[in-house]
Formats: sequence, structure tokens, C-alpha cells
Amino acid sequence: MSKNHDGAVYSKASKAARFLLFVFMTFIALLTLYPILYVVLGAFKENGELLAGGTNIFPKKWILDNFINAWQQADFATYTLNSIYLALGVMLLSLLSSSMAGYVFSRKKFRGKELLYGLFVAFMFINVGSITLRPLFELAIKLKMNTSLASVIFISAGGGQATYIFLVRGYMNTIPKELDEAAKIDGCTFFQTFYKIILPVLKPILATIALLSFRGGWNEYILPLVFTMTNAAKRPLTVGVTMLKNAGDGAAAWNIMFAGATISIVPILLIYIFTSKYFIAGLTAGAVKG
Amino acid sequence: MQTKAARMASKLSFKEKLSRANSRGDFATFFMLIPAVIMLLVVSVYPFLWVFKYVCYDYNGITAYYTGFHNFERALSDTKFWMSVVHTFEYAALKIIFIIPLSLVMAVAVRQKIKGSELFRGIYFMPTIISAAVSSMVFGFIFASYNGILNAILRACGIISANINWLGDKNTAMWTVITVAIWGGFGNYLVYFMSGMSSISDDVYESAKIDGANGIQTFFRITIPMLSPMLKVILMLAITTAFKDYESILVLTQGGPFNRTQVMFLYIYQLVFGASGTSPQIGYGTVLSLIASLIVGIVTAIYLFVSRKLDDVM
Repeated sequence: MSKNHDGAVYSKASKAARFLLFVFMTFIALLTLYPILYVVLGAFKENGELLAGGTNIFPKKWILDNFINAWQQADFATYTLNSIYLALGVMLLSLLSSSMAGYVFSRKKFRGKELLYGLFVAFMFINVGSITLRPLFELAIKLKMNTSLASVIFISAGGGQATYIFLVRGYMNTIPKELDEAAKIDGCTFFQTFYKIILPVLKPILATIALLSFRGGWNEYILPLVFTMTNAAKRPLTVGVTMLKNAGDGAAAWNIMFAGATISIVPILLIYIFTSKYFIAGLTAGAVKG
Repeated sequence: MQTKAARMASKLSFKEKLSRANSRGDFATFFMLIPAVIMLLVVSVYPFLWVFKYVCYDYNGITAYYTGFHNFERALSDTKFWMSVVHTFEYAALKIIFIIPLSLVMAVAVRQKIKGSELFRGIYFMPTIISAAVSSMVFGFIFASYNGILNAILRACGIISANINWLGDKNTAMWTVITVAIWGGFGNYLVYFMSGMSSISDDVYESAKIDGANGIQTFFRITIPMLSPMLKVILMLAITTAFKDYESILVLTQGGPFNRTQVMFLYIYQLVFGASGTSPQIGYGTVLSLIASLIVGIVTAIYLFVSRKLDDVM
């Protein structure tokens, strides 16, 4: 874009400035990466080394036992499955609700549309904070859903959907209406138009929503914490690993907690590394339009 | 004419009306909105209305006793709550004072397109991908007093002689919590700023350069003024987010030591779900929730008012 990069000729002063900038950015990048590297590398350390402390970031002796123990004895296999189930559930439900609602809000005129849309916007701001979970928890008990992760999925998707609806609606508004009209002339019903013509066009924004909502479900913490307080078998990774910290005997089990944290962090980081463009694009669009 | 058309329409049989509505896609519209609307009603509207139900009750999750205005009186004299309000302001102000300039400067730096700037942006954004709860736990290890790596490094460098109890000392706990919040959030605002800057045309920078402006002049005379509409939105987001933060504090300190890092929504959370062994005080929690939401609302309104006034002046 700008012409003053790569290949342009710089004065000595500007070269030095750019070098200093590079050093500064590297420094901040290392500070950002440090905690992540610390925990991932620490997961390969022996518990004795972790408990003794020290300045080493690399293990003296590399071992895999922490992962094996976490997986087999500390239930991390169950936690991981729960996390996958939770994240996929939130993702699918978010895609379903936001794609359809975003399409309708962009294309259809109906009585009360402004009011309904206004409600979605208003409840992005009206928020009574942490108490919200209490009525939802009690409702789940009444419906006998309080031991199921399905209610966690529903609440998590419901809390995030407004942004995704705005994303789809904003994206739809950039697509010419002639496309819908052509489909209608060809005999498509309203829903068929959506299903056969619009959905394929929405793919890029749906990919972004899939990633953002998957991350949302994967990282959900207080919500599943409340719902699985007495039900360890349904805990996702975030809850399972932090619970160890508060457990009396867990205080000394740093190795299991490091391994657990790594199991929770690495999958989502890998997804991010391969799809960072979609992540950042989605966040940007959401910020500007939402 | 219109009345005639209307009369015609009303003369249509119910069946005909249905088939017309169907061909317009009315039913499809209805069914396609159902998932979103149900979720909105259950997850957002219902809890909001529910809060008002128990304001005059002492409710422990099983039985509710009518207590009149007792909850309101208690709220007025609850120093623990009002201290948590003070801490919320302290936390929000300090977080924003550091995170906004840092993310703005880093956004400008990434935009300079020096070698690897895409990679840098990817790294800065990374903490926002990770669960705040898990990364807070990791920071708990880093800041641990006895075997934490931060103390070990500072001792090795000769900066401190005795271990600092970062999360357990009243003087350092708030700063530690804010540090974690800055680490976890600055990449987010950096991306917001970058998207704001992408709308500033390169020509403007070109002509500034030709006129002999240096980097700092360009930043204050061009980037900041041209970014100001976006900056307002970002600041508003930052304020509302900071006032509602409590997940990371819950993991790091649970509000301690001696309530030094207790923020409003964490206090309410502990009241409503019963912190370690106490029974939930839900009725009282609903009153505090309303007060807390009102505080956030007032802060937002003041911010909007001030930023609009500034517009008129500038």
C-alpha cells in the first residue's frame, strides 16, 4: 500500500529508527509469548523442578509423564471431550441462529422488525453482570437440564449471538439483492433462496463466526463452572484445570496443572495459527459494525 | 383505492391468506427467526426481568422471605460492597490508562510494515485466543511467591533480595491483576486500532512526509485526529469491558488479599453462588446487581456526554 516500505531507500537516521522499532516490537512480542512458552515448556518438567522454582524456562530433563498422568489419572481425557463437545455445540448453534436471523434482518420486511432488532442491540448493552447466571441456573434445574452441557451450550451461544447476527446482516447488505430476485424468478421459495443461493455466498463470514464461536465455547469458564459445581464428569478443560488449584491436595500438583493448561491452550492456538486472518478479520468487522 | 384494496384483501378466505403469506415467505421468516429469538428471550430478557423479582426478599436458593426494603438499607451501609465499587473504578481506570496507549502505539508500530510485522500482529493477538481463566492460572504460577519464576528472575538479577508475594500482598495485588488484564487484552484493542487506521488514506501520510513532518508529528497531528471517531468507540468498549471484568480476578485472587482486588461483579458472583461454604444471598445480590449496572450505565452516559462536548470544542 504505502510506498515507503521494502525496497525504498532510507536515510541512516530512519534506518536506525526502524531498527529500534524492530527491537521494541520484538521485546513486546517476547513478553507476550513468555507465559505461553513458560507453561507449555513447564509441562515437560519434573514436578520437583517445578516446585523448586528457579529461572529456567527449559526443562532440565524432558518428560512426558505429566501428560500421561493428567490424561489417565486426572480425568483430562473426559475434560477434553467435554471441551470439544461444548465448543462444537456453541459453534453449530451460533451458525444456525446467526445465519438465518442475519439473512432475515437484511432481506425481509415484517411488522415489528425494528423493534426486534432494537431488542438485540439493547441487550448487548443491558447487562446485569454476574447475577445473570443465577436465574439461568435455576431455570435449568426446573427443566432438569442442570447436569447437561446442552444448557451451557445454549446459554453460551445465546450470549454471543448478537454480534454474529450483526456480522451476517452486515455481510448480507453488501450482497446485491438481484441475486435473491433471480432465485425467486427461478422458482425458489424464501427458504430455498437462503439455503441454496445465500449460504454458499456467506461462507467467508460463516467461517469467521465458526472460529469466533468455537473459541468462545472452548474458553467458556464461569458458566460451566457454575453448572458443573457438583458434577465433575461434565467439566470442560478450563474448569477441570483451575479446580485442581483450589483442591487441597492439588496445590502441590503443579505438573498436572501445567500439563492440563497446555492441553487447554495448544489446540486453540494451533487453530489460530492456521486461521489467524479469519480471526482478525472477524474481530475487525465486528468492532466496526457492532 | 386503498380502502377498496383493503376490503378485497379482507374478503380473501383464510386459506388464500395463508397461501399468500406462504409465497411471500412469511412462515419461513418466522421459523428462521425462532432460534435467535428464543435464545434472546431466555438468555438475555428473562434474567434481566428475574432480577427484579427478588429485590425485596431474602432468598437463599431454596426459600425466599419477604424483608421489605431491608436489602436496600443493607446495600447503603455495606462497606465491603462500596469498597468493591472503588476497586472497580481503580481497576478500570488503571487498565485503560495502560492498555489504550500501549495498543495504539503497537498498532502504529505494526503499521510501519517493517520486517515481520504480520507475525508481530499475530503474536500480540495471541493472548485473546486463550482462555482468560487458564492464562490467569498460569500467571498465578509466574507470580507465585516462593517458587514463582518472576521472583527467581528478579532475585537472579539482583533487583530484589526477598521474595515478593505479588498476589498476596495488599500493595501489589491490584497491580498484578491489572498486568494480567493488560497482557490478555491489548492485542484486541490493537486490532481495533489497526482497522481504524486502515481507513486513513496513505496519501495523507505521503503529503505529511513531503511537508517534512517527522514520525511523532505525524502521529499527533494526523493519526490521532483522524482516528478520533474510532477512538471514541474503542474507548467506550474498553470502559464497559473493564467495569465488567471479574473472571480473571476470580482465578487469580478470588478478590483477596483482604478484599484488595474485590470488584463489584465478583462480589455479587460470590454472594449469589455462595463463596466457599456460605449460603447464597440472592435477594441482596439482585439489589447490588441493579446498583452496579446503574453505575456502569452512569459512567457510560458521562463518557458519551463528555466525548460529545469535546467534539463541539475541537
